[in-house]
Amino acid sequence: MLSFVLRRLGQSGVLVLIMSILVFVGMYVVSDPVAVLASDDFTEEDRIALASELGVDRPLMVQYFSFLSNMVRGDFGTSFVYNKPVLPLIVERLPATLEVAFLAIGIGLCVGVPLGIYSGLNRKRKSTKTISFLTTVGYSIPNFWQALLLILVFAVWLKVLPASGRGDTTMLFGIELSFFNVDGLRHMLLPAINLAIYKICMQTRLARSGTQEVMFQDYMTFARAKGIPRPRLIRRHLLRNIMIPIVTITGLELGGLIAFSTVTETVFSWPGIGKLLLDSIHHADRPVVVAYLILIVMMFVVINFVVDVLYALLDPRIRYT
Amino acid sequence: METAVEHTMTPKPDKPEPTMWERFRKVFKGHPMAIAGLIGVTLFILTAVFAPFIAPQNPYDLAKLDILDGLLPPGSRLYDGTYSAMGTDALGRDILSGVMYGLRISLFVAFTAVLVGSTIGVLLGLLAALRGGWVETIIMRAVDLKISFPGILLALMLLAIFGTGVDKVIYALIIGAWASKARLVRAVALSEMKKEYIDAARLAGLSDFRIMTRFLLPNSISPVLVVLPMSISGAIGAEATLSFLGVGVPITEPSLGLLIANGNDYLLSGKWWISIFPGAVLVAMVLCINVVSDRLRDHANPYLRAKD
Amino acid sequence: MNNLITVNDLTIAYPMSDGEIFRALNNISVEVNRGQIVGVVGESGAGKSTIGKTALGLLDENAIIEGGSVSLEGEKISNLSEAGFAPIRGKRIGYIYQNPMTALNPVLTIGEQLLETIEAHTDKRGNAAKAYAIELLEQAEVPEAEDRLSKYPHQLSGGLCQRIVFAIAICARPDLIIADEPTTALDVTVQKAVLDTLKKLAKQDNIAIILITHDMGVVAEMCDYVYVLRYGGMVEHGPTEQVLAHPSKDYSRELMAAIPRIDKKVDRFAVPGGMGKSADRDRALAFLLRREDRNVIVDDKPLLTARNLSKTFVTPATVVSAEKVFKAVDDVSFDVSHGETLGIVGESGSGKSTVGRMVLGLHQPDEGYELTYRAQDLSSLKSRAERLALSKSMQCIFQDPYSSLNPRMSAGENITHAIKAHGTVGRTEAHELAGDLMELVGLPRGNVRKMPHAFSGGERQRIGIARALSFRPDFLFCDEPTSALDVTVQAELLNLMKDLQSTLGLTMLFVSHDLAVVRQMCDRVLVMKAGQVVESGDCDKVLVDPDHPYTQGLLQAMPRFSFDMG
Repeated sequence: MLSFVLRRLGQSGVLVLIMSILVFVGMYVVSDPVAVLASDDFTEEDRIALASELGVDRPLMVQYFSFLSNMVRGDFGTSFVYNKPVLPLIVERLPATLEVAFLAIGIGLCVGVPLGIYSGLNRKRKSTKTISFLTTVGYSIPNFWQALLLILVFAVWLKVLPASGRGDTTMLFGIELSFFNVDGLRHMLLPAINLAIYKICMQTRLARSGTQEVMFQDYMTFARAKGIPRPRLIRRHLLRNIMIPIVTITGLELGGLIAFSTVTETVFSWPGIGKLLLDSIHHADRPVVVAYLILIVMMFVVINFVVDVLYALLDPRIRYT
Repeated sequence: METAVEHTMTPKPDKPEPTMWERFRKVFKGHPMAIAGLIGVTLFILTAVFAPFIAPQNPYDLAKLDILDGLLPPGSRLYDGTYSAMGTDALGRDILSGVMYGLRISLFVAFTAVLVGSTIGVLLGLLAALRGGWVETIIMRAVDLKISFPGILLALMLLAIFGTGVDKVIYALIIGAWASKARLVRAVALSEMKKEYIDAARLAGLSDFRIMTRFLLPNSISPVLVVLPMSISGAIGAEATLSFLGVGVPITEPSLGLLIANGNDYLLSGKWWISIFPGAVLVAMVLCINVVSDRLRDHANPYLRAKD
Repeated sequence: MNNLITVNDLTIAYPMSDGEIFRALNNISVEVNRGQIVGVVGESGAGKSTIGKTALGLLDENAIIEGGSVSLEGEKISNLSEAGFAPIRGKRIGYIYQNPMTALNPVLTIGEQLLETIEAHTDKRGNAAKAYAIELLEQAEVPEAEDRLSKYPHQLSGGLCQRIVFAIAICARPDLIIADEPTTALDVTVQKAVLDTLKKLAKQDNIAIILITHDMGVVAEMCDYVYVLRYGGMVEHGPTEQVLAHPSKDYSRELMAAIPRIDKKVDRFAVPGGMGKSADRDRALAFLLRREDRNVIVDDKPLLTARNLSKTFVTPATVVSAEKVFKAVDDVSFDVSHGETLGIVGESGSGKSTVGRMVLGLHQPDEGYELTYRAQDLSSLKSRAERLALSKSMQCIFQDPYSSLNPRMSAGENITHAIKAHGTVGRTEAHELAGDLMELVGLPRGNVRKMPHAFSGGERQRIGIARALSFRPDFLFCDEPTSALDVTVQAELLNLMKDLQSTLGLTMLFVSHDLAVVRQMCDRVLVMKAGQVVESGDCDKVLVDPDHPYTQGLLQAMPRFSFDMG
């Protein structure tokens, strides 16, 4: 187990390093920061002065290493727009994003897995065909369009839920959270549903195909032939087996969820890191974009590691050495 | 159930191999939803191809637009007498025409990106499986790197770096499409390579190129073909999302996503048609493709097929 | 009515996707009394498993019971619902699955899978249930029973898993156990011990057994009474000794004749299975014998010499596991002379196939080996032309007929694709030749355009032979060529290979796990165990009166088919 952890740490380090190079090349080499920042009335001297101020007149390797060493020290520079250090800017918005993401995953699992198992066990029923069609519909509506429709229906027509902002928050361990507050929860509901629809569809399908596959295995037939009660058959034999892909994919899809939160947060004006990213892209706020990318990569590395460990815990055939 | 092995010398009943058309019919027969989806997809593609001939108005021709026609509700007549079934936007552009031309751009971008991306992916996947060693390591590490990063986020980044435009969106989506195909093809090809017919081909002294094209490719390509419609609908959605966020296609060549974004501001003030119609068409098209895709997947799934 | 279970005129049908109806069983009647062991025997497609599944309500959803019934102690059970079967499954009828490795749930411990059955059928709970679980495992002769409870199935061998399945099956002391090919997935030495345990358990509690199998040897050792099935129909039934020794129907006679015997070598198996049209066969033979280097002068040296062959497989370290090193073959040396057949026999994992694959160059042997073929050092071949000449001369008949043909090429294309690519024959000539070769191996040439999936396993194996022959080889490596086939099909194919060998003067390296098949096909034999040769010599000596205890054990474990058929 220890050597597995060490190997994984090494690999993760390499991954982060490669991503830092790609981000550096993308952000500092391909696009010219001087051209972006310089206004039209800049003279050639002004440009050179700006270049040396930004440090982009130095050799590329020197630039990269100073970029890297700053990064290691947690210094991602100062946002052009907010004029604040970037790292705290992102970190203070992270809880808002994660809160919605976890709520969405929770909704997805609680709704999707039972629906999927039901459809997998009752293949021929009419309700199964309806569920299956609804998941296809859910898959087919782009995230942003769902968000617009949700606002139109719940905020504009029915006027039952707020369409934008975060509402009141509660401080918990120094973190602002909306979850423990009625107004905050009301604000969170639409963005969470928006992110959850796709999750529900995905979980339903995963659970359905998992169920169908597992029900065909010899060990399920044998378990039936042993005469154990059906609830036990489903709870232990079926669920234990289908949980393996569900947990793995849910973990890996957390990244996708955070990616799509850029869309959701933009539409619902939810003050998380996704909205920050998109605003920064529009304002060419390069340090924020770079810091966001590097942090996201690190987050994915951690998620992948946790998923691998969970995988081993769930499947006795996998042992890390 | 046991596999039915017939006695060796029983003569085969003379059943001809099914033609492409017969196999195609077998996939869709008895599935009215999938057939409806197929018809829908065909109609959308035809509309996109022939948009310049059937659209009531050329939405790109700014000279033809009249600001007085702005924000007319569905069913109005324009100043020049054209009937506007879906209303107009703030510039007096006919929404129906905008949707037809938008469909063109959305479909063009998605098809090009997915076909190019998948071809690259398939070739790389086959190469990785056949060659192994460092070739495989490099290809598969690149795949891992790409897949560990959500596609929409990657596209967003690339467009932020390289700027926007139809061509840039296509590049971004190609980069989004290749990796999963490479991984899929490599996995299938590796399991095919364990089969004895590949050993037989090696024993026969056939070249790597021939083994790849005549043996490995035809036997590894089906799973990619099955996921292709899903990739295309995914790319349509991704392009729409990017354009909606303002980092996709330029305002001069509006796709469906951009049309929706244009109407977004009017949505809350009751001018719903500007966004709703392009959105409805977008959803309908993606839905049609996905229904067809579902059918292909179900048909390819051995666990479902065993009981069909 | 004193029968324990009665199957009366049972007909089971499956609707096929092309609208036709496939009858897995057709008017089958079987009777079993208390404590009796009844064999149901047949080749694949005979429908024998369907009988067991009907008795337990485990038929596929789309199966239709068209007629007849299954009754347990006079009470009809075949029409019960899933819930209706609850008091029968496990309690009155136990079930033993074909493959023990897949019958146990891979993510649950042995203990949990045993205890849940005990709790379902008895009122034992907690420590009492655990004690009973250990008692059951001990009865099933599982060593270190208590330790096994916390293990997962993948940590145990196939034989142990099957014993655990036995323990589960007898837990409620049922009246009947249905054992569906209980030893097919196991090696021959394990098979015997497992069958002995099963017989002991049945006797101890007076449990009746329906033993479903394709193996006549198993029937001969285990059963009191036997039913012979074919294509879902009943061929004949009677006391085991009568049916096996004096079969009354053609098919049963053929079936008995097709079983390779370890005790005496026959020239041909007495099964029908003809050759193709003689004109076509002659043309094919003319092609095969007309060869540039057929008359290469060979001195009295062996055709193939192998010295110090070893093979170590290294599974490189991955994210989840450390590097694994496995020595599959350890220092194997042998000669094969012109026109002879050398057998290699051993259980699964003994490295026997790896030896042949190294000879063909499909695996690279470890350093320090020597391979000489036609007085040429194989490792010194550098040019493409030399290697090509070699690969034409050494060909292979593969093990798995379902994966050894390219599924996307027609039968004819599979046979002649490579020689066309090499320019040996032209396009039209190749088409002719493919037809001729198919007739030579006993397939109608009209099937030349059919795709592989349209052929049965035995027919595909014939196509594989035709493909190997198309290169006009001297040497054939036969890698368990009949292990995936039914016994009558095997007999036909072995006949064909014998004929071809004598006509074409082929030299063969014949790998098999089946001692009787080796006895029938080979002149000399190597016995392998865990990568090493433990004994070698003439078949008439090694397979009749072996010196090495391992070979003796193998011979003893073989189910004897001892009734003489006169």
